[in-house]
Amino acid sequence: MWRYIVRRLLQTIPVILGATLLIYALVFLQPGDPIVALFGEKPVSEAARAQLEAQYNLDKPFIVQWLLFLKGALVGDFGTSYSGQPVSDLIARSLPVTFQLAFMAMIIEAILGVVAGFYAGLRRGHIFDSTMLVVSLVVIAIPIFVLGFALQLIFGVQLQWVPPTVGSATTFTNLLLPAVVLGLVSFAYVLRLTRTSVIENLTADHVRTARAHGVPDGVVNRRHVLRNSLIPVVTFLGADLGALMAGAVVTEGIFNINGIGNLAYQAILRGENPTVVSVVTIMVLIYVVASLLVDLLYAALDPRIRYA
Amino acid sequence: MQPKRILKYVGALSVAALAFTACGGGDDAAGGSADGEMVINAHGTEPQNPLVPTNTNEVGGGHIVDAIFAGLVSYATDGSTEMEVAESIESEDNLTWTIKLKDGWTFSDGTPVTANSFVDAWNYGANPDNAQLNAYFFNPIEGTDEEGNSTDGETLSGLEVVDDLTFEVTLKEPASDFPDRLGYSAYFPLPEVAFEDMEAFGEKPVSNGPYVLEEWNHDVEAVLSTNPDYEGNRTPQNDGLIFKFYTDPDAAYTDVQSGVVDVMDQVPPSAISTFQDDDSIQAFAEPGSVNGTITIPSRLEHFGDDEEGQLRRQAISKAIDREAVTSTIFDDTYTPATDFSSPLMPDFTEDVEGADVLEFDADEAKELWAQADEINEFTGSFELSYNADGAGNREWVEAVTNQIRENLEIEAEPNAFAAFAEFRELITNRELDTAFRTGWQPDYPSVYNYIAPTFGTGAGANDGDYSNPDFDQALREAAAAEDDATRAEHLADAQAILMEDLPAIPLWNRDAIAIAAQGVEGVQVNWQNQPEYYLVTK
Amino acid sequence: MHNHTPQPGQERFVAPAIDTELPTAVDVDTSHPPESQWKQAWKSLRSNWIFWFSAILLLLVLVVVCFPTLFTSVDPRSADLSNSLGKPQPGHIFGFDRQGYDVFARTIHGARASVIIGLLTTLIVTIVGLLTGAIAGFFGGWVDTIISRAADIFFAIPLLLAAIVGLSALNNVWPNRGYWGGVSAVVIALAVFGWPQITRIARGAVMEIKNLEFVDAARSLGASKWRNLFTHIIPNALPPVIVTATVSLGVYIVAEATLSFLGIGLPPSVVSWGNDIAAAQPQVRSGDNLHVLFFPAGALAMTVLSFMLLGDAVRDALDPKARK
Repeated sequence: MWRYIVRRLLQTIPVILGATLLIYALVFLQPGDPIVALFGEKPVSEAARAQLEAQYNLDKPFIVQWLLFLKGALVGDFGTSYSGQPVSDLIARSLPVTFQLAFMAMIIEAILGVVAGFYAGLRRGHIFDSTMLVVSLVVIAIPIFVLGFALQLIFGVQLQWVPPTVGSATTFTNLLLPAVVLGLVSFAYVLRLTRTSVIENLTADHVRTARAHGVPDGVVNRRHVLRNSLIPVVTFLGADLGALMAGAVVTEGIFNINGIGNLAYQAILRGENPTVVSVVTIMVLIYVVASLLVDLLYAALDPRIRYA
Repeated sequence: MQPKRILKYVGALSVAALAFTACGGGDDAAGGSADGEMVINAHGTEPQNPLVPTNTNEVGGGHIVDAIFAGLVSYATDGSTEMEVAESIESEDNLTWTIKLKDGWTFSDGTPVTANSFVDAWNYGANPDNAQLNAYFFNPIEGTDEEGNSTDGETLSGLEVVDDLTFEVTLKEPASDFPDRLGYSAYFPLPEVAFEDMEAFGEKPVSNGPYVLEEWNHDVEAVLSTNPDYEGNRTPQNDGLIFKFYTDPDAAYTDVQSGVVDVMDQVPPSAISTFQDDDSIQAFAEPGSVNGTITIPSRLEHFGDDEEGQLRRQAISKAIDREAVTSTIFDDTYTPATDFSSPLMPDFTEDVEGADVLEFDADEAKELWAQADEINEFTGSFELSYNADGAGNREWVEAVTNQIRENLEIEAEPNAFAAFAEFRELITNRELDTAFRTGWQPDYPSVYNYIAPTFGTGAGANDGDYSNPDFDQALREAAAAEDDATRAEHLADAQAILMEDLPAIPLWNRDAIAIAAQGVEGVQVNWQNQPEYYLVTK
Repeated sequence: MHNHTPQPGQERFVAPAIDTELPTAVDVDTSHPPESQWKQAWKSLRSNWIFWFSAILLLLVLVVVCFPTLFTSVDPRSADLSNSLGKPQPGHIFGFDRQGYDVFARTIHGARASVIIGLLTTLIVTIVGLLTGAIAGFFGGWVDTIISRAADIFFAIPLLLAAIVGLSALNNVWPNRGYWGGVSAVVIALAVFGWPQITRIARGAVMEIKNLEFVDAARSLGASKWRNLFTHIIPNALPPVIVTATVSLGVYIVAEATLSFLGIGLPPSVVSWGNDIAAAQPQVRSGDNLHVLFFPAGALAMTVLSFMLLGDAVRDALDPKARK
């Protein structure tokens, strides 16, 4: 087990190198000149341009930029944004709130999705199952920038159950609505995945056997059906944390949350390579850890899977 | 808000089982004055650069810099120039200007505002080693290149300190409106302490304006308190300002509705059609100074500097029903253009010769296009490029290309760019082979500032590479004019030339829009389309 | 299998014939061609009304995609601002949007770009993801390591951010790409960063299945590794893959809407549900004229519904134990 963990951790090194190189290449290929963007409609002199390019390493070939970035990142120096702030400060400011938001969203989607999917699977074809189908269709078919906006207007502005925007007050209650909005799409995945697995497992041999042994339905459903249905769900959720943090781009904008998704998006618009790449690196790290945890969870959920 | 609207949302989204009680009526701007302090919460965006006046060129930082610094002159709400730190700004020949300062002005650290505070700040701003984003503004001063950077090291040859309260500025060529330009933030003074560590200064500037910066809480807010030592023209009527930062104007609008934000300088596209009837807020919409134009570079095939190009430009201008777009797409918050500037400018002329080319006439448009086709047949598609990160661009570009397509019976389509950076780079490098949207927000109140930087031969923002010696001559005459009336005349002549050549097609002026929470008073929108924050009370 | 502690009443238990594994295992092993499992699936599919319902719905969508002019003769790009936000009326049953476009014509013509983006992306992602995931999960060891870590590289960068950056990079190397170019670019951007989702799901499912008895049985009966993978493992690993893919189909169509909303998806001249949903966003605040949002979103929902139901039916058919 420990050997497995160590090996997996070692394997994250090429993943991080690969992912940062990939994002660096893409960012490097971005059209748009960040210096021109800085100056807006006003002209830039050659001298001023040379000065800024040297300052942000923009004058170096892309592979050198990447290596310089890695060198800095190793000692926790992610460079400075064009507004003159250390990128590590920017990340330190925005990461906790995104993390909190993504975590809340994940809990919400996991609990609601698994419970709803479980019952929909048990009562397949019944009214609850059909209702959940419609709910997931609505959630999937209406993009977040419309749905989140509508929920904000209903619950925040008109009913005033929650504050419409979050701003600096990142309390649990303030983040509740954004977390629900953020988790909606993934909720549909979790719901459908759980439902299918439950249906699948209801007819599985060990479940039938247990039932035939006279184990009460409730116990069978919980112990045998649910537990075995969780594997694809756990797989999905582990990979979803990263998606939630980036999906936060739109949600964070709607609810004015100064999170990492928003930070990345604004940086992309401004062509701030150091910020974009640093944020993505952090996201990669989080993803890698989450996916390692998922692989370990497999073993806990399904004793047949063993790691050597 | 009316309950029926709630029901509509629900119906449309099929969200079942929402029990509604009464909706929360007008929860008017409560709070804020609880402890007797009247602090105004204003919508803002995170400044993208350090708060150094010569390095702040976007609205987010601009709001703050304008509030905390005072320049030689200040602009009244209507755009007229008033002396602020300057006692007098005088010149015999419009070329060499003697600037005398009032005695007794201090920065918030107690040091006096002297001639050196200005000269050193300007030298710093023009020095290419400092790569300041507003260097362009120093371009009229002797010793700078076209981009406004100094050509000979750290000091500009055109700046000379005479004594503590006097300095002289020598320009490259005469400019009668030079004093009017000096209220722009690039010309603000800096205290000595700034030059010791500009980076630290940019985080927490020491300033001489109506307010001082208490705290810049990044990505969240900037807290400004009033400056007790300030004795200029813009005396704060409130006890402080907090600029709350948003990345999405929709979120800010929502916060104005609920009274979290008191005043906001814009309205998101989603609320354009409703904000004037929205009884949870106060709406302000007046004619504004920002204009919108379509630039068709003369390097484009069929749009060259010849008869064919001129006919096609006129045809396109006449094929656009500006009225229809401003009333449906912008819900009358834009006004169709009648010239290349804005009616708000003091030197605006009502009827520029040839301005009828801006009037919609589908038949004539088609005829002009047919005439051009006789010279050289048009094939392909007329594309109009825009940047999609600017709110609302897409809607009007789509509407305008639709009109061109239908009225000229040619293919016309929008061409989107995700980010302004990309869009701008292609324009700057002359690599964009389509027509593109342009617009201008004046740096100082004059028609001259709309047309000189954008259409003068070789000028910095002349994106279409327009060049007409007659136009340049008219500009020079306007700059050297003795009095305002002659100046306005020369500017009208210059505009008449533009109407014929149409290097850009004027579309409309954006109204100066602001909204405020209920109970907020004193909202006045100035010539730069910004609320006068120092006047706001509640 | 799980170790059950002996339950009371165990001795009374007699397994009904249907529960016995044996017939299935024998059925699959030697003489029959590998397709037999698929054939059986088709047999059970034919008798499922949900399958027919969803198939007809899907067929309708596909006909609209291929022949939009059968349903409307109105040009979806013809606009008159004087019709702006007009209510549904005879001849224009879905009304007009803000630009004065006929919403019915837009909804019909918008199907092509949207459905192709959703379908093509899902297809690529599913095939690549299923193969890589199944191979990784089945063979394990260094094969698993390489595939899983390669998948991590692409999946660690969140889809939306990656698509934003990827699409604008594509803009740089491939400008002015027109209708099909625009559609392909969105598909490429979504697929390049989307496949690992299926890889992970498929890998997890395969790892679970390869330890099941019937697989062991087939192996012990002499089936080759690859044949085993394709005849037994993949069909049984399909259910979570199908479910994820059907949901993803909707998610990809909507991702196009989000990308278009941000100005990097399809060019505005391409008629798509996503472009129209993005354009309808401002209507949400006033709550008026929501028909401009309802119809494209409704068409999208209907398409996703047909795929979900179809996926459900196929899943049932593939599950030997659930077969009637």
